[in-house]
Amino acid sequence: MANNDLSAIPADVALDFLAEILPFKDLDRSELLKLSRNGTIDFFPEGTLIFRQGETEVEHFYVIQQGGVKTYRIEDNDEISLKDYRGKGEYFGALPIIQGTRANLNVEAVEDTFCFLFDKQPFLDLLASNPTVSQYYLRTMSAKMAGMVYSQARQKKIMPRTEGTLYLFTAQVGEIAKGELFQAPCTTSVREAAAIMSEKMVGSLLLTDNTGEIVGIVTDKDIRGKVVARGLDFNTQVEEIMSSPVQTISGQAICFDALLKMIKNRIHHLAIEQNGRIAKIITTHDIMVTQGTSPLYLFREILAQRSIEGLYPLARKIPHVVRALIEEGAKANNITRMIAVLNDHVLERLISLQIEKFGDAPLPWAWMLMGSEGRREQTFKTDQDNAIIYADTDDPALQTEAERYFRTFAESTIDHLVKCGYPLCPGEIMASNPKWCRPLSVWQGYFRKWCRTPTPESVLNSLIFFDFKGGYGDGELVDRLRAETAATARKSDLFLLWMAKSTLASRPPLTFFRNFIVEKDGEHKNTFDLKTRGLVFIVDFARLMSLKHGVTETNTLARLNLLRESQYLPETLCTEIIEAYEFLMHLRLIHQLQMLEAEEAPDNYLNPKDLTDLERQTLKEAFLVIGRLQDFTRKEFHLTDQ
Amino acid sequence: MKLLKLFKKDRRELHPLLARNRQAFLNFEKDLPLHDYDMVVLDTELTGLNVKKDEIVAIGAVKIRNLRIQCAETFYALVRPDEQLHTPSTLLHRITPNELQAAGKLREILPAFLEFCGEAIQIGHYLRLDLEFLNAAARDLLGGTLSPPYLDTMRLAMAYNEAKHGHYYEHSNIHGAYTLDALSKEFGLPSFPAHNALNDSLQTAYLFLYLVKKMKDYGFRTLDDYLKAGRKWKIIL
Repeated sequence: MANNDLSAIPADVALDFLAEILPFKDLDRSELLKLSRNGTIDFFPEGTLIFRQGETEVEHFYVIQQGGVKTYRIEDNDEISLKDYRGKGEYFGALPIIQGTRANLNVEAVEDTFCFLFDKQPFLDLLASNPTVSQYYLRTMSAKMAGMVYSQARQKKIMPRTEGTLYLFTAQVGEIAKGELFQAPCTTSVREAAAIMSEKMVGSLLLTDNTGEIVGIVTDKDIRGKVVARGLDFNTQVEEIMSSPVQTISGQAICFDALLKMIKNRIHHLAIEQNGRIAKIITTHDIMVTQGTSPLYLFREILAQRSIEGLYPLARKIPHVVRALIEEGAKANNITRMIAVLNDHVLERLISLQIEKFGDAPLPWAWMLMGSEGRREQTFKTDQDNAIIYADTDDPALQTEAERYFRTFAESTIDHLVKCGYPLCPGEIMASNPKWCRPLSVWQGYFRKWCRTPTPESVLNSLIFFDFKGGYGDGELVDRLRAETAATARKSDLFLLWMAKSTLASRPPLTFFRNFIVEKDGEHKNTFDLKTRGLVFIVDFARLMSLKHGVTETNTLARLNLLRESQYLPETLCTEIIEAYEFLMHLRLIHQLQMLEAEEAPDNYLNPKDLTDLERQTLKEAFLVIGRLQDFTRKEFHLTDQ
Repeated sequence: MKLLKLFKKDRRELHPLLARNRQAFLNFEKDLPLHDYDMVVLDTELTGLNVKKDEIVAIGAVKIRNLRIQCAETFYALVRPDEQLHTPSTLLHRITPNELQAAGKLREILPAFLEFCGEAIQIGHYLRLDLEFLNAAARDLLGGTLSPPYLDTMRLAMAYNEAKHGHYYEHSNIHGAYTLDALSKEFGLPSFPAHNALNDSLQTAYLFLYLVKKMKDYGFRTLDDYLKAGRKWKIIL
């Protein structure tokens, strides 16, 4: 009899619903069936108190089919603190079941709400047999979940343009290096070295001293550029032209790091170290073979560029390179580092060409980067934040001459940067502003004043200026300023306290509900500013703690890692903060890339409706992490809540 | 003719299922809170609206206990009619003649359905029509009719709207606006593809939960309160 064939029965509502939502969608239907078998549907008219904190015995795990609830606590002082809004596909009741307690929160229907109710025991069984599910409910920023979010975001939002396997972030240099290793004493003549290289068909030769220790490397480029082109005697010992010491990289490093190191040092060969000795050579060629759209091409073009105008289109190509990196699965940190390095090269090329035009500066000087550029955290929307610092002089004529030179130099450079696609700073924090084009002593004075007499304005300045970093020129000037600033800030308790207060002035958003972001006071908005409502909390926190503890690094992740190493930050908190930061950064990069591809000006505003459930969930976790970071700040500075 | 039918009816033994059912509802307590009753929400698919000519081709039902829909306690069966496998409503309920050809006869299915219902009270949307067909079949096949009290979601909806909007509330179009579809939309309920007996019974169950819980605000509490609801609409229905 076919009439009662159960498979002919229309949809199993509860099962079908679960199969569409996190964290159940990746489970087998047979697993889900165990949960859904005794499922029921209940309806709660708007205003129904479903759980009463401390009283309700929770017998079911609730999944919202339609409608929405709010969760809140009534504190000891009778104050109500709103915890969360939950809507379609979200849940409540998990925690009391897991912990075996009564309802920990009040849950109230804010709309007419239909829920699926699943029995306690099958839910616990499911948690026990599926770690991904239990992880989901234990509300930590786990790396595993974050990984899921990243891959999901890439798949959904950025359609790969290039086929083929790309190894930049997975392949280790040890695996892909082809270069066999050949050595010769450093006393070998250039002629002999070249003969060995062409016989063995390699592009480089490692050179040893009389004890057999590797002391340098010679490449065919050295022979071309330093010997042939300069008409040097072929009997010259290679020692004269070798690069020393040899730049090395661990065999376990990923290709991306090798590439970054080569680009930074402008070299094409790296020696691979394995078990403490040099085992192989990796070349740019090895990497390019595995790599289609390479940042390396762009990097070479930038370096080879002989005219300023020629730099404009190259600088504007940077987003394309970054797109390739995102496709390949680069984490936000890798991407911002790459953007920073490429921007550095544009700046360096530009300033070198400018110096050819304007002549050498009358005094030692440096071009400083501030704000996100100083932190090496540029994304696509990189306003210029820069300044000039130059050496002090007692000679008034020289001083006047320097002021004149740097003013015209800066104005022209800023103009070219705009044409390269770096917009002007709306706050005029640029080298062309006479206030930010000063000798070392004046800069030192600025920072001392900001630290010693804190005002709202100086706290605001500190957010931008304290992240300064040398961009071009005399690094020593910048280092001296950094050393003094770090020492002053560290001792300026009042200033640090002000800064701490300013980082606590606003709270992270509470949660998402439908297509709204919900603030702590219950206010709803349909745009979410990734920067001011997310990233800024973490960036400011890392700066504050670094200034307090004398950490001179400017990059947020590097700051956090250093703070953790010196045990100024608890291990777990620090890991969570880093995860949250990388996730926010990643969302921001993908969002901005999408805008660029739609030919819009990149901004930081997300519409919550464009987020996947997993992204929303992860963002909620990030908000919680920010809350913990604020608690930590409060404790560190002995500040009370509010 | 009439005599013959009476005679037939008298001769036939009341089926034990119906007898037990009748016994259960003999001194039925109607004053308990609605929450305490087991219910079955049912829907039938018919070949037409004329009880003399048309037949049941599908029965779908879902249980409600503790005023919660029991997702896994459902009943669904196609029924092979005695005549006409091709009817205009074939298109409507999307059951093909072949499927019906393979289905069981009502004489097998009806007892199974009554077994499923047990002692639950019945819920349906414009249930009078379904009951007319079910009772006709029960008389024929089992020698009696169904006994449980029933609640009609169409009547409850009218009562709810009246309670909410006052006595003079007039719905724009009684026949259009009180269909299951229209009401589900009006109240913003989760929706299922219509015109499958099980989906429709589930849809009706959602509507029922919505209405009875909303009606609590207007003083409805016991089964009897709900049974009396919308009494003035009885004439139309």
